[in-house]
Amino acid sequence: MLNKRLALSGAFTLSLLATVPAFAVTEVKLWHMEQPPQRVQRIQDLIDAFNAANPDIKVSQDPQSWGEVYAKVPAAMAAGNAPDILFAIPDFTTVIRKAGQLDSVADFVKELDGKHHFIPATVEPYSYDGGVWAVPLYNMSLNYWYHKKAFADAGVDVPKTWTEWKAATEKLSKDGVVGTGLPGNKQLYTDQTTYAIMVNNGASEIFNADGTLAFDNPKTVESYAFYKDLYKFTSPDAANWTWGEAEACFASDTCASILQFSVISTYDQQGGGDAADLGIAAVPHADGEADSATIAYSNAAIILSKDAAKRDAAKKFIAYLLEPETYGKFLTMEPGLFLPVTEDGAKATTFWSDPLVVKYKSQVEQMIANSHNGKLFGFTDGRVFPAIGPISAQNILAETLQKVVINGEDPAAAVKAGQARMVEATK
Amino acid sequence: MTKSGIAGRNDGRIALYLLAAPLGLLAATLILPIVSAVNISLHDIRVIGSDGPFSGADNYVAILSDAVFWRSLGNSVVWVLGNSLVQTVLALTAALVLNQKFPGVKIARIWIILTWIIPTVVVVIIWRWLLSPSGGMINPLLIQLGIIDRPVGFFANGPMAFSTLIAINSWRWFPFVAVMLLAALQRIPGDLYEAAAVDGAGPLRRFREITWPLLQPTLLVLTVMGTLLSFNVFDVIWLLTAGGPAGATQTLPVLIYETAFKAYRMGEAAAMSVIASLLMIGLALALLKMLAPKETGR
Amino acid sequence: MKRGPIGWIALIAGLAVLAALVLVPIYLVASSSFKLPREIINRVPSWFPKSFTLQHYQKLLATSDFPTYFGNSVLVSSVSALLTVVLATLAGYAFFRLEFRGRDALYRAVMVAYAFPSIVILIPIYLMFAKAGLIDTRAALVIVNVTFALPFSIWMMRTFFASLPKELEEAASIDGAGLAATAWYILIPLLGPGLASIAIFAFVSAWTEYLFASVLILSDAKRTLPVGLSGIIGQYQIDWGLLLAGATLSVVPVVIFFAFVGRWFVSGLTEGAVK
Repeated sequence: MLNKRLALSGAFTLSLLATVPAFAVTEVKLWHMEQPPQRVQRIQDLIDAFNAANPDIKVSQDPQSWGEVYAKVPAAMAAGNAPDILFAIPDFTTVIRKAGQLDSVADFVKELDGKHHFIPATVEPYSYDGGVWAVPLYNMSLNYWYHKKAFADAGVDVPKTWTEWKAATEKLSKDGVVGTGLPGNKQLYTDQTTYAIMVNNGASEIFNADGTLAFDNPKTVESYAFYKDLYKFTSPDAANWTWGEAEACFASDTCASILQFSVISTYDQQGGGDAADLGIAAVPHADGEADSATIAYSNAAIILSKDAAKRDAAKKFIAYLLEPETYGKFLTMEPGLFLPVTEDGAKATTFWSDPLVVKYKSQVEQMIANSHNGKLFGFTDGRVFPAIGPISAQNILAETLQKVVINGEDPAAAVKAGQARMVEATK
Repeated sequence: MTKSGIAGRNDGRIALYLLAAPLGLLAATLILPIVSAVNISLHDIRVIGSDGPFSGADNYVAILSDAVFWRSLGNSVVWVLGNSLVQTVLALTAALVLNQKFPGVKIARIWIILTWIIPTVVVVIIWRWLLSPSGGMINPLLIQLGIIDRPVGFFANGPMAFSTLIAINSWRWFPFVAVMLLAALQRIPGDLYEAAAVDGAGPLRRFREITWPLLQPTLLVLTVMGTLLSFNVFDVIWLLTAGGPAGATQTLPVLIYETAFKAYRMGEAAAMSVIASLLMIGLALALLKMLAPKETGR
Repeated sequence: MKRGPIGWIALIAGLAVLAALVLVPIYLVASSSFKLPREIINRVPSWFPKSFTLQHYQKLLATSDFPTYFGNSVLVSSVSALLTVVLATLAGYAFFRLEFRGRDALYRAVMVAYAFPSIVILIPIYLMFAKAGLIDTRAALVIVNVTFALPFSIWMMRTFFASLPKELEEAASIDGAGLAATAWYILIPLLGPGLASIAIFAFVSAWTEYLFASVLILSDAKRTLPVGLSGIIGQYQIDWGLLLAGATLSVVPVVIFFAFVGRWFVSGLTEGAVK
């Protein structure tokens, strides 16, 4: 017992020593969920350059996984060891706001906007309750990817409407080929594909203007019914798919088409990499709709730290990332996946000169065009409903879909039950 | 401190010294947290680390009236039974084979354990890849063997996903059970078999009349222990299906994790934990009846 | 005993099934980790690699923190194993050699501790460790691992002590040897194989632990292998080649380790009562 006490007091002294800064260096801890090694490496390169240019600041990164971060961040905040900067998406931001007091970064965003001109749609999901809660950093939107050759061989045109999409899927699905690969997992990817279908049937609003739920409506039900029609032809393991399996299916030519943010780097490394054969289009829309829409995520940096010096250092680092020269390198940590959120970033030579972006230029341009019609559930038409946090955290869109495509429930009944779940979750 | 030890030592005092560290550790890392969990379960706490008002038995009422809780409990029962059955059959087969004498048996006895030393995450990687219809090996194998005619989704629906998970979890755990059973088999005196053989008993009769009865106590203990172990399994399920599809593989630990960290209802998650703990203690007490330190008495 | 032809067939069939079950999946993973990406995801899989490349291993070692994760796992598992053996031996001696009031009740309490679902204590432990400044330390993982390995290890001690004739110790104490000397010269050497199997059990439990390691460790530099690997799995892309290389590399060292100590695990358990 005595030893234990000694050890404890020793540890205590050590931790005291550790908190005394040797020099006036401000340490800034960054957490993000960009775990693939090449992305971590690119972020590290940028951090190293930043630290070298700013000897009074030391930024360090710790990549986390989406699977654990919902548990970890609130726990770390409660325990007082949260990071100073956290990259997040809109609905996760509402969760973080609930777990602790965030300070608005409205002034900082305004300052950056004056310099780089944010695309308004990327700031909106973070602007509510009289503040701006994060700084937009990179945009993502879901696209329809297809193998041009497979379509040509089967004599199928790229679908624009749901009727065409269904026909194309049926025609392509033979000899072990999956016409359209769609996920059925209870997971964020399925939330995204489900919403991408809904939004193309005019069912983009999950909330009414007064904040009550509007999920249970005929348009949503139709969307789920259509998803079910397509799901019949998907891969047999789709009930277990995350983004990676869909990409693998596409890269191995098993899937003739999939809904995905970007397949470029996987396609290039594992799928043969013939840029001329890689097709991209907007997600097909319902026959009654005039144009295609998609789901778009504006990823942003939350500044969690309360310490004034750390906040300033964090802002300096974020401002550094958004400088066009560095910004292009930052976005191309996963070439062709992350899209610019600023006007001058969209022109950055460091972005357009990345070898993969050069190789797949037409595809990247199409991605940016598609992203202009992007929406996000709970954050539509300039209105924000923070109640989306728990709905999104528990993947209720996907959960409802599973009832339809796996348990074979009637879409109308499943959507009704889904709305009840949402009411329960937001209580 | 009534009796004295071998050489008049004071057993009680010595025991106190010896047990201070191990029991102190267990008290600090198990008992304290459990007391804390009971406390959380009586409050309406949402996000971890936040405070909430005292809510009495509200959390318990809420979860006991929730169909999802009962479904998960049912899933846990199926999970535990399925794993016990599959693992026992596999392990018993392995133990009986390895109890024979043949060239290379020593090596086989060591390497049977191979799958148990693989980290769960790696087990998950291995099987996710092997079972995947795009690139995996199992589907083509089954097609070549003529068992199926087109690729199967091993996680496509509830029953499939559940069976697949049980198979994967058992694949990892059966060698451990097999080694424990082998240990028990080796304790059966060889002359019993020889005597029986002299009496003209065939292999089946020898198994039925000697092996089986003598193995039963160990088997029982391992079954109860396996029950506790497999009830607690979280990572394999979480990493492979996250409780899906449509909640079919959502066992109690998965539900507790989701309630705490996805739905942010810490109070309810703690209440579920308390109920789960009570159930497990009940089982453990049954286990104890078989494990009491009999040999140590003097 | 003689084995008839049917016996031989049954034996060989049993061995074949076991080998297929245990070895084939591992062979497929290891051999495929040397294939080119295109061959790995090919719709028609190859049972024997047609291509050979080390690119997945190069990528794994060059771009990820795999060596760091590996080092952390070795450290955490070794310390956990050592501590578990020490604590289990202390407790084992008290429970199976000494007689004191409340012994049975205490032993029972320890065994009940084994029954608690680990998920139950995840949240409270996190908060407690946060107060003690243990979050994001490898010590936190050691504490948790020892806690979970201890009850079972104490239970294993029971068999080992039972197989040691008490007369030995009695003889030693008549010779005037103290308790410490008896323990050091008589008990520990005789318990050797048993202690080794407990160490291996604790090592493997710590080596494979995922849940607590994933929540209690925050920084990349302190991650253990399972959590680090699950990060490399990636949610957005699946690089099967990289994963298979990671899977292979994480198994090989344990296999080598086990090649040296494996026999202690099996014999520790099996020889106990034969003596």
